[in-house]
Amino acid sequence: MGIYAKPLGRRDFLRGSLAAAALAATGSLAACATSGTGSSTSSSSAPAGQVSDTNPFGVQSGSTVDAVIFKGGYGIDYAEFAGKQVEAKQQGVTVKVSPTTKVAQTLQPRFVAGNPPDVIDNSGAGLIGVNTIRDQLAELNDVIEAKNYEGTVIKDTLYQGVTEPGTFDGKFIVLNYALSVFAIWYSASLFEQNGWTVPKTYDEMLSLGEEAKGKGKYLLGWGKEAATYYQTMAIGSAIKEGGDEVRLALDNLKPGCWSLPPIQDVFNGLKKIIDAGYMKPGGSGTVFTAAQAQWSDAEEFILYPSGSWIENEMKDQTKSGFKMTGAPEPTVTSNSKLPWEALHSAAGEGYIVPSQGKNVAGGKEFLRAMLSKDAAVNFAKTKLASTIVKGTVPADGFGSTALQSQIKLLEAAGSNIFSWTVLNPADLYGMNTDQLVVWNSFLSGDSDVAKLTKGLQDITDKVAKDDSIKKVQVS
Amino acid sequence: MTTLASGGVASGVSAPPGGLRRIGSARWRRRNLTFDKISFFLVFLVIPVAFYIGFVVSPFVQAAYFSLTDWTGFTPAMNFIGLSNYAKLFTDSTFLQAMGNNILMAIVVPIVTLGLAMFFATLVTVGGSTRGNIKGLRNSSFYRVISFFPYVIPAIVIGLIWSQIYDPSAGLLNGILTRLGLEQFTSFAWLGDPRTARWAVMFVIIWGLVGFYMVLFIAAIKGVPAEVFEAARIDGAGRFRTAVSITIPLIRENVQTAFIYIGILALDAFVYMAALEPGGGPDNTTLVMAQQLFTTAFARGQFGYACAMGVVLAVITLAYAGLVFAVNRIFGGKSEVGE
Repeated sequence: MGIYAKPLGRRDFLRGSLAAAALAATGSLAACATSGTGSSTSSSSAPAGQVSDTNPFGVQSGSTVDAVIFKGGYGIDYAEFAGKQVEAKQQGVTVKVSPTTKVAQTLQPRFVAGNPPDVIDNSGAGLIGVNTIRDQLAELNDVIEAKNYEGTVIKDTLYQGVTEPGTFDGKFIVLNYALSVFAIWYSASLFEQNGWTVPKTYDEMLSLGEEAKGKGKYLLGWGKEAATYYQTMAIGSAIKEGGDEVRLALDNLKPGCWSLPPIQDVFNGLKKIIDAGYMKPGGSGTVFTAAQAQWSDAEEFILYPSGSWIENEMKDQTKSGFKMTGAPEPTVTSNSKLPWEALHSAAGEGYIVPSQGKNVAGGKEFLRAMLSKDAAVNFAKTKLASTIVKGTVPADGFGSTALQSQIKLLEAAGSNIFSWTVLNPADLYGMNTDQLVVWNSFLSGDSDVAKLTKGLQDITDKVAKDDSIKKVQVS
Repeated sequence: MTTLASGGVASGVSAPPGGLRRIGSARWRRRNLTFDKISFFLVFLVIPVAFYIGFVVSPFVQAAYFSLTDWTGFTPAMNFIGLSNYAKLFTDSTFLQAMGNNILMAIVVPIVTLGLAMFFATLVTVGGSTRGNIKGLRNSSFYRVISFFPYVIPAIVIGLIWSQIYDPSAGLLNGILTRLGLEQFTSFAWLGDPRTARWAVMFVIIWGLVGFYMVLFIAAIKGVPAEVFEAARIDGAGRFRTAVSITIPLIRENVQTAFIYIGILALDAFVYMAALEPGGGPDNTTLVMAQQLFTTAFARGQFGYACAMGVVLAVITLAYAGLVFAVNRIFGGKSEVGE
C-alpha cells in the first residue's frame, strides 16, 4: 500500500492535522494519562541493617535516603542540615535532599510506579491530599518512641497534641514538623500608641472597629486566596465557645454542623463587623500577600487572623517597629467552655514516609534527625518559627516579637490546646477551593449569614454523600 | 486521480498505466521499493505516526479508559465503575457552572477578538486614503508592531500584570478612575465582584490576543490582489462595504482557522485563570473546566473523575470545531480547508 494507493491529498492531510490540533489543544485530557502502571512489588525489600539504640530503625550502611522537600517559605536548607546530621550519625548513609514546589504533580507518577521517595515534606498549595494516599504511608509511632540523638525519647520532647492532626483512624502517619499557632495578629506598638487593647470577644472587636475608624483605619482585611483564614478563626472561636461537640460535628461532616449555635453566633458577630464597614473593602479582588501588606506595611487595617507563619511570610513587607504580636482568637461570650487563652495550634509541613519507599528505615532516621536538638534549634533560629520540639526557642525569640508571643501564647494556653482534622488548615477532603468562594462573598458583604451557612453546608454535604471519598472518623 | 498520484510526492516515479488499482500489487511493490522510498516512508510516515500514536492517541485512549474507573491517581490500583463518573459529572453543579462559563467565553472571546482584529487589519491594510493606491492608514506599520506587543508577552505574565492593574486598592485602573472623580470605584474589586469578574477576565484575554489575529488577518488581506479592492472602489464601495463584501469572503478560510484556534483557547483559558482568578472567582463566575479538572485530580485525588471531565472538555472542543465548520459551510464556504 503506502501513500500511492489512496493518495493522501494535501487537503486530507491538512484536515487531519487540523483535527489533531484541535485534539492536542485539549491537552488537559492527555494530562490525565499515565506512563504505564508499574507494579507495587518493591516494598521495603532493602536488607535491614543492625537495629541498635543508635540505629533504632536499622538503616543499612551504604544506603541512600531519598528526601523530597517542599520548597516554600521555609526553603530546604533546614532539611539539608538534618540530612547532614543523619550522614554524621549513620556511617555510610547518604541523604539526597531534592526540592519541589508542586508535590502532588511531581510525585504522582512515582507513587503510581510504586517507587516513591523515602521521606516527603508534603506541604504547600500543591500537596498530595493525605486521604488519597493514607493506605500507602508507614506508621510513624516508632519514630516518636525512639530516642533522639541526645538520648531522650522523642515523644517526651514534643509539644502536647502535635501528633493528633497527623493521626487518621488511629494511625499516626503524618508528622507535622513546624509548629503554627493560629491567632489574631496585630502591631503591639500601634496598639500602645493609640491606647487600644486586644479584643477578647466579637463585641469588643466591634467597638475596637469604631475606635480604629476614628483613626482612619479599618479593623480587618483579607485577600482572595486567604478568605478562609476567617473560617479558621471562626471555627477556633466556635470550638472555644461550644467545646468538643462543635469540633466533632465539623470533623465528621455531620448534617447541619454549620448551623450549631456557637458557629452561628460567631458568624453573626463577624457579620456585624462587616455591616458596620470595619472590613477593608476589595479583599475579594486582592492578592493575599498584597492584602497582608496593607496590614503589616501600610497599616490600613489593624488585626489579621492567620497562622504564625505570617511573620516569615511578610518579613520583607513589614513596617519597621511593627512589633508583630499574636492574641488568641476571640470568644463569643466571656463564659465560653474553653477559656479565651485556649489556643488553636496545629503544625504544618507534614512529613510522610511512604511504606513502598526503598529505604523506609532511612526515611524514619531522617525524621529522627529532624526531631533531635541540633536540627530543631537550627530550624527555629533560621526560620524564626518553632518546631514541634519543645524548648528550642530562647526567651528573646531570637529577637522576634512574633516568636516570643507564640511561645507565650502556648504557655498561657497550658493544656487547652486544640486543633481539628478535616477543615483548614488540614483540608483533608480538598474543600478549601469551594469554601473560598463562599467566604469571599461573605466578607465582601455580598451575602449574609444564612447564605454563608448554606454554602458551607452544601460543600460539606457534597463530600459527606460522595461514596468515592474515604472518610476519616474523628473522635 | 492519476494526476494526483503522478504529480504526487515522489516525483520521477510515474504511475504505471492502468491507474491506481494496480499500484498495490506485489509486482509494483517489488520493483519500486528503493532505498529512497523506504527512507521516505520511514521519515515522513512511520515515525510521525508512531509518535502520534505513542504521545497523542494512546494517552487519549488511556484517559478515556481512566474516566470509567475510580482511580485516585496515586496507586496502580483502580476499579472499573462504568459511567458513574459521567453521571456524577452532570449533577455536579460546580462543574456545570464551569462548563457554562467556558461556553460563554467560547462565544464572546472569539467574536470580540476577531471582530476587533478584522477591524484593525482592514484599517492597516486597505482602510487608508481613498485617493491613489490601495493602502492602509498613515504609519500603519507602527500600529502593526505596537498591537503585536501583548502577544509577545507570555500569557502567565499578562495575567500577573493585569491582576496588579485590577488591584482594588493599589491598582492602576482604580487609581485612574478615582482620580477622574469616580469615587464609587474606590477599592472596587474588579476581579472580586460577581458582576464584573468574568468581563474583566475576558477583557484581558482579548487584549492579549487581538494583536496576533490582526497580524494573521493582515497577512491574509495582503494575499488578496489589490486590483480586487481597486475594482470595488471604482464601483463605489465604501470602506465598510469593501470589508464585508470583499475582504471577509476572500479570507474566509483564515477567519475560520482563527475561530477554531481562539475558541480552543477560550475553552481552556487555564493559564489566564491561574494568574487572575486561581480560586474560580467570585461565586465561581470565572471558574473554567480545566481549573476544576486540575483541583479534582491533584487536590482531591480523584483522577478518574478528572479524566471524565477531560473527556467532556475534549468532546465540547470537537463539537465547537464542528460547529465552526458547519457555520462556514452554511454561509457558503466551499471547502473545509483553505486551498
